[in-house]
Amino acid sequence: MTVAATGQGAATTPRAATNQHYDLDPEIFARFLDPLRKYSSALFASDDDTLEQAQRRKLAWVAEQLGLTGGERILDAGCGWGALPLFMAEEYRCRTVGISPAPRQHAYIRERVAARGLDALVRTETTSFEQYEPEPGGFDAVTLLGSVVHMDDLDAVVAKIRRALRRGGTLYLSESCFRSEAIRRTFDERPGTDFIRHGIFGSGELRPLSELVAAAEGAGLSIRAVHDLTADYHRTIECWMANVRAASPALEEHDEGLTEQLLRYLETANAGWGYTTKHYALVCRKSR
Amino acid sequence: MTSSTAVPSADIIRTVTEVVAEILGRPVDGLSPDADLRGVEGADSIKVVRIIAKIEQAFDIELEDEEIFGVNTIGEVVALVEKATARERA
Repeated sequence: MTVAATGQGAATTPRAATNQHYDLDPEIFARFLDPLRKYSSALFASDDDTLEQAQRRKLAWVAEQLGLTGGERILDAGCGWGALPLFMAEEYRCRTVGISPAPRQHAYIRERVAARGLDALVRTETTSFEQYEPEPGGFDAVTLLGSVVHMDDLDAVVAKIRRALRRGGTLYLSESCFRSEAIRRTFDERPGTDFIRHGIFGSGELRPLSELVAAAEGAGLSIRAVHDLTADYHRTIECWMANVRAASPALEEHDEGLTEQLLRYLETANAGWGYTTKHYALVCRKSR
Repeated sequence: MTSSTAVPSADIIRTVTEVVAEILGRPVDGLSPDADLRGVEGADSIKVVRIIAKIEQAFDIELEDEEIFGVNTIGEVVALVEKATARERA
């Protein structure tokens, strides 16, 4: 998820801030995310969709983008609270590896895995993707849902993804992007950029889509599809904001001022869609 | 991952030489392992790419860009195929 909270303590580096945010008490996220605790865009099909329905639809859609038929090996880099690895294991009997540097996320995933009897299918590793060395050709699919923004060396990341994929394997990468290179330059010149980049969008490097495409090309991947998920992310964040408002008493009990803090950054993120930012999904294949 | 057994070098040399001979329209006997592919009569960059494509299909491998575009001789192609078959069947 790229819409990270502001003011989560005095972080010294962007990555520390990121981890710090994701390593907050999981119960805070339980208050405003859907039951799968998926911290990225849902996919809505109708006005009546609940957030949970839309998050499940999204995961099924990702499976479709990956061409899953059952039993594939999936590497989820930036797995959050395990929504994708658990879903793909449960629904498609996939063998999944979830990577995340936040220890509390793993503790939570382990509980869920045990409760659902998915021990043989779901494995997690508490590390950053930069530190992780996947088995070459060991995966049919690699997924990064809103996590590449937290990774500094994009070319090295995509090269590692390509190494991890078997021939014919698929990458699904979705990310919030600057709307254009010109917009990024404009923001780079402004003193408030750090607030947007590190405060609002989660510590990390927000890039235009063109840079993600160039990195995929440079690594030798074939571009299969680009999808615009901006409107879906807008609605997803509206759902989170409604949940934050509804859970305000509990959130205030947890940490005074938390409601306002969460609403402030969710509102700011939602204001930028289509003007400064877009949310895209990129589907690539390791093939000629 | 596909099969497990390594392809014997002699088979790789023979297959690569046959592919080169076929695409360049030269007799197999006239091609030595150290022959410069681009120097063979009838060779051009398109034919070299076709040779690589046919070899990838024949061995069910995918060579890396930096390998393909740096290769000059049949012997070098054979070495690449050996490396790739080891890599992909590991």
